[in-house]
Amino acid sequence: MASITLERVSKRFGNLTVVDAVSLDIADGEFMVLVGPSGCGKSTTLRMIAGLEESSEGSIRIGARDVTKLEPRDRNVAMVFQNYALYPHKSVYENLAFGLRMRKFDKAEVERRVRRAAAMLGIEGLLARKPRQLSGGQMQRVALGRALVREPEAFLLDEPLSNLDARMRVQTREEIAKLHREVGTSMVYVTHDQVEAMTLGDRVCAMRDGRIQQVGPPLALYDRPANRFVAAFIGSPEMNLIETEIAPGPVVRIGGAVLPVPASGFRLPGPGSRITLGIRPEHLAIADAAGPRISGDIAMVERLGDRTLIGLDAAGIGLKALLPRDDALAVGHSIALAPMPGRLHFFDGETGASLAVP
Amino acid sequence: MRSRNDWVIWAFLAAGLAVTVAFVLVPVGHAIVLSLQQADSFISTPRFVGLANYARVLGEEAFWRAAGNGLIYSGLSIVLQVLLGLGFAMVLNEAFPGQRLVRGLAVLPYLLPTVVVALTFQWMTDGSFGIVTVLLAELGLGPIPWFERPDTAMASVVLASVWLWTPFVTICVLAGLQGIPLSLYEAARVDGAGAFARFWHITLPQLRPVLTVVVLLRAIWMFNKFDIIWLLTKGGPLGATEHLPILAYKRAFSQFDVGGGAAVATLSFLILTALVMLYFRLFPLEEKR
Repeated sequence: MASITLERVSKRFGNLTVVDAVSLDIADGEFMVLVGPSGCGKSTTLRMIAGLEESSEGSIRIGARDVTKLEPRDRNVAMVFQNYALYPHKSVYENLAFGLRMRKFDKAEVERRVRRAAAMLGIEGLLARKPRQLSGGQMQRVALGRALVREPEAFLLDEPLSNLDARMRVQTREEIAKLHREVGTSMVYVTHDQVEAMTLGDRVCAMRDGRIQQVGPPLALYDRPANRFVAAFIGSPEMNLIETEIAPGPVVRIGGAVLPVPASGFRLPGPGSRITLGIRPEHLAIADAAGPRISGDIAMVERLGDRTLIGLDAAGIGLKALLPRDDALAVGHSIALAPMPGRLHFFDGETGASLAVP
Repeated sequence: MRSRNDWVIWAFLAAGLAVTVAFVLVPVGHAIVLSLQQADSFISTPRFVGLANYARVLGEEAFWRAAGNGLIYSGLSIVLQVLLGLGFAMVLNEAFPGQRLVRGLAVLPYLLPTVVVALTFQWMTDGSFGIVTVLLAELGLGPIPWFERPDTAMASVVLASVWLWTPFVTICVLAGLQGIPLSLYEAARVDGAGAFARFWHITLPQLRPVLTVVVLLRAIWMFNKFDIIWLLTKGGPLGATEHLPILAYKRAFSQFDVGGGAAVATLSFLILTALVMLYFRLFPLEEKR
């Protein structure tokens, strides 16, 4: 077990910078999730930690060792691939044993470790099978097992759930969390799925265009997104982001409603400045008689069971609101909503950076 | 709808069957019938002699020497073609400047007519003015008796065959290599496998289906290969490069022993069939599920 430290690590392909001066400390035993849209550099970062890509700049340390120039096999990390990458012609047992055999473990030790990993993952019955005789979920367990037997200093997982169907994905997600609690080894997990990021990570590192946008515990990213990108990426349904400006008062106007700006907690620019106002759909409620009202017509209704998601057209501004179940809500009805107090987000109109006081 | 589909299926099957009967089964049957007859030309009235032709041919040293030569020629040229083809394909599979051009050039020999290759080979190795002979002489080497000594003649026809048909192996293996998922190599690298271990544990097993078919095809073609040897040596010197196809041809068309030639051809066919069946037993095309 070991910590992982990235110091200003970059990766360039010709003129294209895919990862741009990424610095990240992953504590010993931590579950770190790298999340972001495709092309954000998260997989490349993971592959540089594995040694499958050479970094163009910067240094990578695992524990006390500088591994920047080391071959993958000398880094003592294990990796789980998106398409599993099981050796097709080898049995499950041989797939698990391969990494140990390459490292010249004696036969009894190989057997002991393979059996133990198989027991942990519930795949003892599959050891004699070939990968093509396995379901997707079973292949994923074998891929995890192949990493597990190595007892590496860190696990690197590259979108390990994206080839599974929705049900298997939830189940395997829980198993990976359980596995991490049991073995306690550092894990670096790459995903584009914010639900996986929120549910698995001790901390989440949100990336875009090769740069880190924010690192922190999942709920910190949800509660205090550092910028517009993180605000929109974390949370489902997506946060409403409204381009507006500060009016004297100070207030902001949206769709005919006048919302007073909170007196504290934000470092807001003067009247006339462009800002982006953020309100999560779950932080909008039916307005009561007093207080500000955002009025409009319902343009869309999705009944989710316990809750109802509506789309509101408020004087040309589209908003989504996640309300408690209300079967009476229907397209075309007029409705007035109000944001919950203390749940507004303000971002710089130019840079998109959060205006919250840290 | 269904009956119309059935009709189409039967029509296609019948057409395929008719072509196979007319162009494969009838000639093969005719050859086997010829091998049971004695005739001194294709127009004379043949006489049925039973297995006498076989007994005669099998009793001759020439037959066994030709069978041995065939095995040496096809065995050597297959092994060299596969080893070189595998090596070239692995080189061509790597990214390097001019890769596309070199890939195109690598295929070129396979596109040339055999007769052009044979004549060029003879000119280049001509004992007095061939470019190879001249260049070797400049270096103070040679002259090499390319086709004049039994051992060098066999080596020379093998060399020409390898030059001509290695590209076939290269193309097939290259296609096979491109089908191997890169993530397998990455997984193996993380698992601690070096370059040789990756070749042995991933490349070779992944190429197995391709190699099985390629070796089979090359074996059939090389065992029956007639043109390159005939053009280069006509089976000489002293029968050193005479294998069963050439022996059969000489019997039937030079020595007017039609029955003997047909018997040699039929025996050659039986030997090859036995070898192919043995091969399928050792290397089944489809792994059992």
